[in-house]
Amino acid sequence: MGKKSKKKQVLVCCGTGCIANGGLDVYQAFKNNLGELFELASSDDIKATGCHGLCSSGPFVRILPDDITYCQVKASDVEEIIEKSIKNNELIKRLLYRDPQSKKRVQNLEKVAFNSMQLKKALRNVGLINPESLQDYLDRQGYQALRKALKMKPEAVVKEIIDAGLRGRGGGGFPTGLKWKACQATTSTPKYIVCNGDEGDPGAFMDESIMEGDPHTILEGMLICAYTVGASKGFIYVRDEYAGSVTALTKAISDARKNDFLGEDILGSGLNFDIEIVRGGGAFVCGEETALLASIEGNVGEPWDKYVFPTEKGLWGQPTVINNVETWSNVPLILLEGAKKFASTGTAGSKGTKVFSLVGKVVNTGLVEVPMGTSLRDIIFTIGGGVPGKRKFKAVQTGGPSGGCIPESLLDLKVDFDSLNEAGSMMGSGGMIVMDDRTCMVEVARYYLQFLAGESCGKCVPCREGIRSMLEILERICNGQGCLEDLDLLEDIGESVRTAALCALGRTAPNPVLSTIKYFRDEYLEHIVDHRCPAGVCKELSEFYIDAELCNGCGLCSRNCPVDAIQGEKKQPHVIDNSKCIKCGECINECQFLAVKVR
Amino acid sequence: MKILIDGIEIEAQFGETILEVARRTGIHIPTLCYHEAFGGQGSCRFCMVEVTKNGSSRIVASCTYPVNDGIEVKTSTPQIDKIRRNIAMLLYKRAPNSLFMQTLYKEHLCTENNLVEDPHEKCILCRLCVNACATMGASAISTVMRGTDKRVATPYDDASAVCIGCAACAEVCPTGCIEVQEDNNIRRIWNQDFTLVACEECGKNFATREQLAYIMDKSKQDAPATELRFCENCRRKVLARKLETFNG
Repeated sequence: MGKKSKKKQVLVCCGTGCIANGGLDVYQAFKNNLGELFELASSDDIKATGCHGLCSSGPFVRILPDDITYCQVKASDVEEIIEKSIKNNELIKRLLYRDPQSKKRVQNLEKVAFNSMQLKKALRNVGLINPESLQDYLDRQGYQALRKALKMKPEAVVKEIIDAGLRGRGGGGFPTGLKWKACQATTSTPKYIVCNGDEGDPGAFMDESIMEGDPHTILEGMLICAYTVGASKGFIYVRDEYAGSVTALTKAISDARKNDFLGEDILGSGLNFDIEIVRGGGAFVCGEETALLASIEGNVGEPWDKYVFPTEKGLWGQPTVINNVETWSNVPLILLEGAKKFASTGTAGSKGTKVFSLVGKVVNTGLVEVPMGTSLRDIIFTIGGGVPGKRKFKAVQTGGPSGGCIPESLLDLKVDFDSLNEAGSMMGSGGMIVMDDRTCMVEVARYYLQFLAGESCGKCVPCREGIRSMLEILERICNGQGCLEDLDLLEDIGESVRTAALCALGRTAPNPVLSTIKYFRDEYLEHIVDHRCPAGVCKELSEFYIDAELCNGCGLCSRNCPVDAIQGEKKQPHVIDNSKCIKCGECINECQFLAVKVR
Repeated sequence: MKILIDGIEIEAQFGETILEVARRTGIHIPTLCYHEAFGGQGSCRFCMVEVTKNGSSRIVASCTYPVNDGIEVKTSTPQIDKIRRNIAMLLYKRAPNSLFMQTLYKEHLCTENNLVEDPHEKCILCRLCVNACATMGASAISTVMRGTDKRVATPYDDASAVCIGCAACAEVCPTGCIEVQEDNNIRRIWNQDFTLVACEECGKNFATREQLAYIMDKSKQDAPATELRFCENCRRKVLARKLETFNG
């Protein structure tokens, strides 16, 4: 085992993605085997950590201090890892990450393109600490920011947050410091602090990874705010599906209470503050802050008009500061490194970093944290490794279901709150879904509208009826029954919904429609005028054929065809029988030579 | 404070909404989900107006927007008219067989389009019924589900244990979509039968038994007082007679 300073540590990723792939089994295998060999099992040297980020290659095992990271580890690999890499400092090549660009195996995952452009600020502890260990958090400057804040005047803390230029990471991008200042200025008590952990965007898991991987940082952020505005009670609203987050936060709150970080007279400062977890009921709209507050109050999760901000009249009509998980995790960092340092990263209007969940048709899927102002191209191609296979990039959808689709021509867009809004999309909470040329943009708009039709709260007319009508039109276009007037009607209704809907969900709901019409109008016209879906997705409008020039008769398509619609001799061009074809698209997806085409 | 609505200077009080100020001044702002008894809900968005303050303008719901010093309000602009037209059109498509929506559709100069019309729906989800029921104190109905499936119902569409059959919901409904059937002395509403009580003076049915029991309970009376034995009309007559005897 060597000297104590070189004592090995094993970090096993037990984020949700890795757990799904057996991460807990791997962790248990280390506990069982390593414990006997090194008497380590009871110590903190084998850690089940939060998400490492590159979820497509999990479960990860990271060995420190050598910094070896193994990917897609199975429980059955553990013995070999112990024998070779822990006992004998030997590398197991087959378990190392294979860089998709250089095709080389890499020992230190921090050095691959996926990680090299990233700047872990909000995620600074995620993947490095055992989220259930308060000590791990304390070892990484945990609660130092709170101690620092408690020695400052509340006004000075607010000034620090304002100077840092932190904007709300939940989507709105409202300056956090100004929010706090407004709440600080109110005299009515009690005041409340709320953490919005109702992350609901399909494919997004930024907040989940922080709640699961570094729960104390959220508590610390809320505590700093409580001290600043004079609040005594906090709530963390966690999405119903996030059982792991609830577990981690419950443990963190309990440990914080035992160690004088929550409760009465915290750290002898006179501050009284406690936090309660509220589980959501599964409604997407409760991510909207006023709907969330209504839900905490025990009412139906419907938003109300924010002409008077929650900082003045929030929970039970009392002054309330509500911020998103990622915003809270940035707060301790600002106190620790100072506003100036924090603001040195980012763009003129958006400071710091942003976590994105990069998913869809991209080689490296997972969580990425980059400085504000990083271009879409860098995120998708350098970090994400581009579109897999021979397919071409078509669009990237940002901001969750009510975000917009951004085309290839805008790939050099520097991502921040304002640039995305200008492009007709939005930052949202940081979802980023990459689409290739097998994606039909009309169908994408239809898909998101269908999601929103079910997840709108249904309170206001523009959102409820507007979405219903836009969805109806999109379904018609996808079925080949669209007409040119439909485009005008979509834009007309979309504009009204955008201005008149009650909450941000409604006001952004037309984004998927309006942004695809703006950037992919030709594709709509092909559907309507030519009755053709160029991506081969809309079944009524697609007919597949095999380009005899490109087909080398490998037979992959016919073997994968579920209805035996493809015939052909070996090494001879194959043919699709359209009377049998059900247009599932398997042949297109399988063909390595792009020989299957859409007529 | 002073505010301007359509160029007219009006003295407004802190806590009032734009709509309230406009109404008492006689300025018309169309509404669908507003009722003076319940206040603004901000759900129909029909009352949207343009508010300008310090040079910047925004479109707000006048029924929930609290007035503040120096605002300038426009109750009709091309943009607002378009929003109202679209809302009228969308709700007409939802409930085309309601006379109320047919009128509104014409009033707001909606133009034909090929959106599907639902021949069976009459409810426009203004929720006045829900508010009326809550204000009566029964809260027997509420909106259920969400998104485009949202509708008004009793819990699980069962007979509600707290409904008193007062039909205030139907009374306030602008499209007449809440069914109230009365047969002999039975009123059927929200999948439930209620026995009607006749006026001791004229014999006309005027309330349900549950309704009277509810009022007695709320007003902590043991026996039906005069108000609870007669219909609205006869109550006056009876009172008048009493006064005559008193004077004479």
